[in-house]
Amino acid sequence: MRRRTFLTTPLLWPTLALAAPADTSVAYPPVTPGRRLVFPRDHGAHPDFRTEWWYVTGALDTPERDMGFQLTFFRSRPGTAEQLSSPIAARQILFAHAALTLPGDRLRHTERVARVGLGAAFSIDDCDVSIGAWRISRQGSGDRQTFRLQMQSPQFSYDFTLTPSQPLLLQGDNGYSRKGQRPQFASYYVSWPQLTVDGFLLFDGRRQAARGRAWFDHEWSTAVLSDGAVGWDWVGINLADGGALMAFRLRDAQAGTLFAHVAWRNAAGRLRQFETAEISFQVLRHWSSTRSGANYPVQLEIRFGEHTVRTLPVLDDQELSTSRPVPVVYWEGLVRVEGSFAGRGYLEMTGYADRLSI
Amino acid sequence: MTTLAWWLIRAQFRTRAAATCLSMLAIALGVALGYSIHLINEAALADFGRAMKVVQGDPDAVIAARDSSGGVPLATINAIARDPAVLAIAPVIETRVRIGNTGTPLRLIGLDVFSAAAVLPRLLPRNEGMTGGDIFGGRIFASPALLDRLGQRPGASVTLWRGDQRWQTTIAGDLPATGPDDLLLVADIAWVQEHFGPPDAVSEGRIRLAPDTDRANWRRDLAARLPADLLLRAAEDDQARVSNLSRAYRVNLNVLALVALLTGAFLVFATQLTAVAQRSTQFALLGVLGLSPRMRLLQVLLEGLAIGVPGALGGLALGYALALALTQRLGADLGGGYFSGSAPPIVPEVAPTLGFLTLGCAASLAGALYPAYLNRVQPLAQALKVGFLQHHRAGVPSHRRWRLPLLALSAFLMTRLPPAFDLPLAGYGSIALLLVLGVRSAPLLTQWLFGWLAARRLPAAQQIAVQNVAQAPLMAQVAASGLIVSFALTASMVIMVSSFRLAVNHWLDHVLPAPLYLRSKATPLPQDLLAGLERADAPFARVERMAQAALTIDARRPNVALLIRELERNNPAARLPFTGPLLTPPEDMAVVWVSEPMHEIYGIEPGQRLRLPLIGRVVDVFVGGIWRDYSRQFGAVTISRDDYLRLGGDFQPSDLALWPRPGQESAASDWLAGWTTGYGLELTDGIEIRHLSLSIFDKSFAVTYALEAAATLIGLFALAVTLAASVRLRARELATLGALGFDRRMLRRAVIFEGALIAAVGLLIGVACGIAIGAVLTHVVNPQAFHWRMSLAVPWLTVLGAAGLTLLAAVVASAYAAHQATRLPTAQILADVQ
Repeated sequence: MRRRTFLTTPLLWPTLALAAPADTSVAYPPVTPGRRLVFPRDHGAHPDFRTEWWYVTGALDTPERDMGFQLTFFRSRPGTAEQLSSPIAARQILFAHAALTLPGDRLRHTERVARVGLGAAFSIDDCDVSIGAWRISRQGSGDRQTFRLQMQSPQFSYDFTLTPSQPLLLQGDNGYSRKGQRPQFASYYVSWPQLTVDGFLLFDGRRQAARGRAWFDHEWSTAVLSDGAVGWDWVGINLADGGALMAFRLRDAQAGTLFAHVAWRNAAGRLRQFETAEISFQVLRHWSSTRSGANYPVQLEIRFGEHTVRTLPVLDDQELSTSRPVPVVYWEGLVRVEGSFAGRGYLEMTGYADRLSI
Repeated sequence: MTTLAWWLIRAQFRTRAAATCLSMLAIALGVALGYSIHLINEAALADFGRAMKVVQGDPDAVIAARDSSGGVPLATINAIARDPAVLAIAPVIETRVRIGNTGTPLRLIGLDVFSAAAVLPRLLPRNEGMTGGDIFGGRIFASPALLDRLGQRPGASVTLWRGDQRWQTTIAGDLPATGPDDLLLVADIAWVQEHFGPPDAVSEGRIRLAPDTDRANWRRDLAARLPADLLLRAAEDDQARVSNLSRAYRVNLNVLALVALLTGAFLVFATQLTAVAQRSTQFALLGVLGLSPRMRLLQVLLEGLAIGVPGALGGLALGYALALALTQRLGADLGGGYFSGSAPPIVPEVAPTLGFLTLGCAASLAGALYPAYLNRVQPLAQALKVGFLQHHRAGVPSHRRWRLPLLALSAFLMTRLPPAFDLPLAGYGSIALLLVLGVRSAPLLTQWLFGWLAARRLPAAQQIAVQNVAQAPLMAQVAASGLIVSFALTASMVIMVSSFRLAVNHWLDHVLPAPLYLRSKATPLPQDLLAGLERADAPFARVERMAQAALTIDARRPNVALLIRELERNNPAARLPFTGPLLTPPEDMAVVWVSEPMHEIYGIEPGQRLRLPLIGRVVDVFVGGIWRDYSRQFGAVTISRDDYLRLGGDFQPSDLALWPRPGQESAASDWLAGWTTGYGLELTDGIEIRHLSLSIFDKSFAVTYALEAAATLIGLFALAVTLAASVRLRARELATLGALGFDRRMLRRAVIFEGALIAAVGLLIGVACGIAIGAVLTHVVNPQAFHWRMSLAVPWLTVLGAAGLTLLAAVVASAYAAHQATRLPTAQILADVQ
């Protein structure tokens, strides 16, 4: 789902079509460096912060090679109804978004929205977030822990168990991840790459066993969009050699890079991070959506330090649109990566169609 | 052959233009009435269904408390939301509030916009411009119709009141998908809960299931797990409930329309019979020339159709016009008071329209059937010589004499049968049998009465008339039966309505004991008003408080009213009009008294122990007795305030009965005036309520009277047509009389006297039948269809007055026939005979 949504919150956040700008009297805690993250407590929700998401993307090999899936829970504290004592006051709202990419076919996606207390729930002690029967939860401890993903919809359903094969990856400075030149634009950001997927998938009336690799992200923040940013490009790639690569950049209206960051952990577990000056994003090929008219750079060349990778989408049309209640259009889907490294993962590009729809 | 058929039809239309047109008109009337009732009802149901869809959406299931003061716990809503088969559950809190001091409480629906989008999209609010509206920030949204009514624009500040609770907020925008009749306020569910409750619960949860779910099974499984005070209902249940609201009333009107149609068929019968009789010589000639008996039969049927098709078509047009006019004037419930709102659009559909067309044609065909049969069996030679043979049976053959008592017995036995499908079908059957009985007894009475009269010495003209009636019972029967049927129905309706009105009048005496009534209409009365009434300086000798709620006993039936009243547990008869014995309840048990409709619908008997959904749980109560209630057709149950409090209920009065201190009536009104204007309460005196109730009553029978008038008119048509025909049939006889020296005045007098005699017989039987049918309506149809019981009171003056007027009209109609008689070309007729 609109992964970096907090950056463009006033535009993209569906509730805001009905909500006034957030009440400035609400004191959201700032994101500061030096906070020590504690697990499993920090897998749970941080309801004081303005936004938060649990985000799982993955590539399946069974039932079919290069099938992509994605399940996101997005928590928002809009700052409304804070003064109410009602147990169903809309203080915390959850959005969930699920997608399935069938290579050579098309992308299917579906979503749910609910307020906490009325259909939606989260735990503040561990990862357990749900809207109705949709749920991401963590079980077990130490070496024997797993995540479970459950979702049902008329279009498709899945129930996956994700088992870590590597340790957690704390992005940025031990989980403090900067999103702009100024320090207030930052989030707490935890990734868990290289999770093995096991479970079943139901679509077109068939229930099939599913196996593959996934990437888990958990991020929470209060910051708003930094000046001049209109969108971003992001990738999270499980590398074939066992490494993990995360890269993002924020773009200005001229498609120039405002801020960028790359984290690369090699198969041996050594983490290297790159700053804006060491990174470049080159467009190799655009794909135009006939629906929105947006022009997405589906093939990107990302250079960081001495390395270069190129993205290659398994399906050009992985454009998503949510219509409720304001239209938001973006591209998010499974890509293969070639170059210095090979691998598969998710590419997300936002802000290409928004200017058109505004 | 076709040419001949057309030629005969055209000749028939030309020579009997008046009778044919009247028959067509009668068919048209029957079709029109039935069709318009159908159209209006469809429109009303569609309109009601649409309004309900706006508020309720189109859920696969709805979970709600059986008791309107209860709610669905949030835990239950969240547990259902976790069910994998559930796509969304949209909880709502619905309550009634006033804006400022406006009189009518408005529906305020607290919803959760996220789930509402999936289940009740038409209630979704829209922000108007840049008012900065924010549903989560506690702003409200009003339907465009309500904004118009209030004369407000988005951005206006308003104060919502419910009892003492007050919520000051701003209208942030409107509800674009609501209709022109929907007066609604929408706000966020949490804000409504915060201000008006209930805590930790919602009014309803509306559920959308995954498309591949077996809905019925899913509902059954969940319903089995739910606590007894919660009810899971399907959308079909709501439709059934809407339809049940006016079902009995509608069926009643349709039966009346059917009567009009049958009368039309009867008129076709009368016309065709006379037509066949008059043309017997022509048909006999055609028969000799080779027209087969079968063709003679078909020709008469064809002529019947030639009346039926244009009649039915005209009826459809008339029915459509009538439906338009009636909905504009009386509303979609024809004054029945079941639905409210402005006139719904009338949209005819193909299948029912064709159905009514067929019905009209079938009625005219049925009318032509017996004449066609007679035409087929006419012996040609005889017919050629002497004309139509009446085949009249002088007297009822002895082997058929048992038929009349058997009919009477069957009619009586059918009144003993229980309702079928909640409708008094056996009662209607009994009415039909009574009508048949009336018609069949006409020849017997005619022979007996006129046989006796013929034996008296009378002036020649009258003597001839009496002889004619006594000896030609077929024609007399035809002429009389139209009047019998129409007058019997009219009289029965008058009798039933007047009995009902009298009963309502008595009942109002009993249920309106206080001089003044104060109502806040479904919202609680302010506490400080109630406290003020307790003070010694309040100018009232006595105050009785009442609270109301609604219980769902059966999801497919309309709700039952729960009345919580300040009654003495041991002496409820002081306030409730009991119909039977009053039982003493066990000391340790709450006692309720159920209304007559509730007793009839749910089969609840006095002395029974009942499990009622009250105060958010199911409690055992004792049924102490049954009281008469003409205002709540779907049932009501009364409990004393003390018992209700003992059970743990929260008594929030919404209605007051007030007795001012003697001599302080105006002080009492002044004392209350501040409250009524400040809180938008409604103060009425008992006399006013009584007038209003009776005027609603009268309005609801307005259409019934229109139908009766139509039926009587048709009956008179039939009399005129038959009489005129019988005059022509006896042309030779009259011509002979003329030749013998009868002048025109004498001839006229003879014919008018004959008509008056036939009408008198018809009316005599009509009155008798009317009283019998009135008794069936009062004692069988009313209790079974509406669950209202009352005693029979025949308004003799009205019934006999109406009979006299009809007799007068019959004389006028006979004068028309007599006019025909005097215009007969005597010489030519006599010459023809030679």
